[in-house]
Amino acid sequence: MKLPFNFIGVFLFAILLLSCDATPEGKVEEALLKFQKVDDGLKAKLFSTTKLSPAIADKDLTPESQYRNNSYDTDRPPSDTTSNWRLEVRGNVKYPGFYSLDQIKTLGMTVENAKHVCVEGWSQNVKWGGTPLWKFLDWIGADPRSEFIYVECADKYYESYDIESARHPQTLLCYESYNKPLSLEHGAPCRIVMPTKLGYKSAKWLTKLVVTDKKPGGYWEDQGYDWHAGM
Amino acid sequence: MKTKPDKEYLHPLVVRTTHWLNFIALSIMVTSGLRIFNASPLFDFHFPKWILLGGWLGGARLWHFAAMWIFFVNGVIAVTYNIISRHGRDTTIFRKRDIPGVLPMIKYYLRIEKDHPKYGKYNSLQKLAYTSTPFLAIGVTLSGLVLYLPVQLQPLTWIFGGYDFARWVHFFFMAAFIFFFLGHIFMVSISGWQNFWSMISGWKRLSKDEG
Repeated sequence: MKLPFNFIGVFLFAILLLSCDATPEGKVEEALLKFQKVDDGLKAKLFSTTKLSPAIADKDLTPESQYRNNSYDTDRPPSDTTSNWRLEVRGNVKYPGFYSLDQIKTLGMTVENAKHVCVEGWSQNVKWGGTPLWKFLDWIGADPRSEFIYVECADKYYESYDIESARHPQTLLCYESYNKPLSLEHGAPCRIVMPTKLGYKSAKWLTKLVVTDKKPGGYWEDQGYDWHAGM
Repeated sequence: MKTKPDKEYLHPLVVRTTHWLNFIALSIMVTSGLRIFNASPLFDFHFPKWILLGGWLGGARLWHFAAMWIFFVNGVIAVTYNIISRHGRDTTIFRKRDIPGVLPMIKYYLRIEKDHPKYGKYNSLQKLAYTSTPFLAIGVTLSGLVLYLPVQLQPLTWIFGGYDFARWVHFFFMAAFIFFFLGHIFMVSISGWQNFWSMISGWKRLSKDEG
């Protein structure tokens, strides 16, 4: 049996050419980002403000002992985030200023079990507790025509959201998990939780929130992750 | 006097074009997909860097979610064309009458049986493999959709046993494609240069004892 390996060589060479594990750059990256724009547009179109991330029974929660923290380099918690914590509010709002956790808590707390899906592929079911972001946005008098929310964190992280996702009923200004105040590594004292988006959208150690009509970026998005990140 | 033609038109332009586009798209999907896999492996294994595409998770995702459009649109065109044109209907599609031919072919390949069973253009195993590819494509696409939009496509997520199980299903269909690819490459390699070239030019030159 004769094996003409010459063109198998061509096959393998083609695959190797494709597969040098290089980060896309220049024109290639530009082209790929165009596809990403289409994806993001599609995700925004398909996003339903009423569709909920499925309810999870308490027995299906990830045990608190396995409650995981991701390992990105931004995720070394800042040393002190809790003392005298205030959320700075700016942008197109009626009542800009600094808000304490107690003030936010007066708007009421929602507890929800939701799946947190990491862009890396792992997921966990967490019991979160916090104030729905839409209540807070109403309370600070966010301009209803402004389409974007931008947040900054105590580390170098920053994130931004489309207003539909920010006002989704499951989106929280979160300060509890498993019925306890957030631990430092999980974003104490206050973080975003957005079960309708990939985990990198759930920014930790919030310090600032801006309501804006100009689309902002995000820490990972500015390096190549998709901005909408809806699931 | 009629002479026997010395070449045969095997693959129409649409078939050739979709075949090679599919090869490119799948190569990108698999190599970038394995890079995504490596970010959080399903089992204790990391794929070696040299078969990966994208450099980092974000780069691999860019490739993966771009190539999926090529894979999808190209696949829809290919399947639709094959159904409408009835191309390869008698030579390539696996049917009930091909079932008895499966076991003898397996025996032959395993060297249990020495004589090559008789068949038309493709044997039963080849027909089975070719016919399975559109189903593999549907499986890999649907399970991929679950990973892409698990909340918005909740009924589909439920069908695939949830987000985490869909990762396994997606991986399984990818592996099935690799399995097909290896068999396909082997068959192509023993069928000679003319056969390979026919997928590029459409024509296969027939040697005297063929046809």
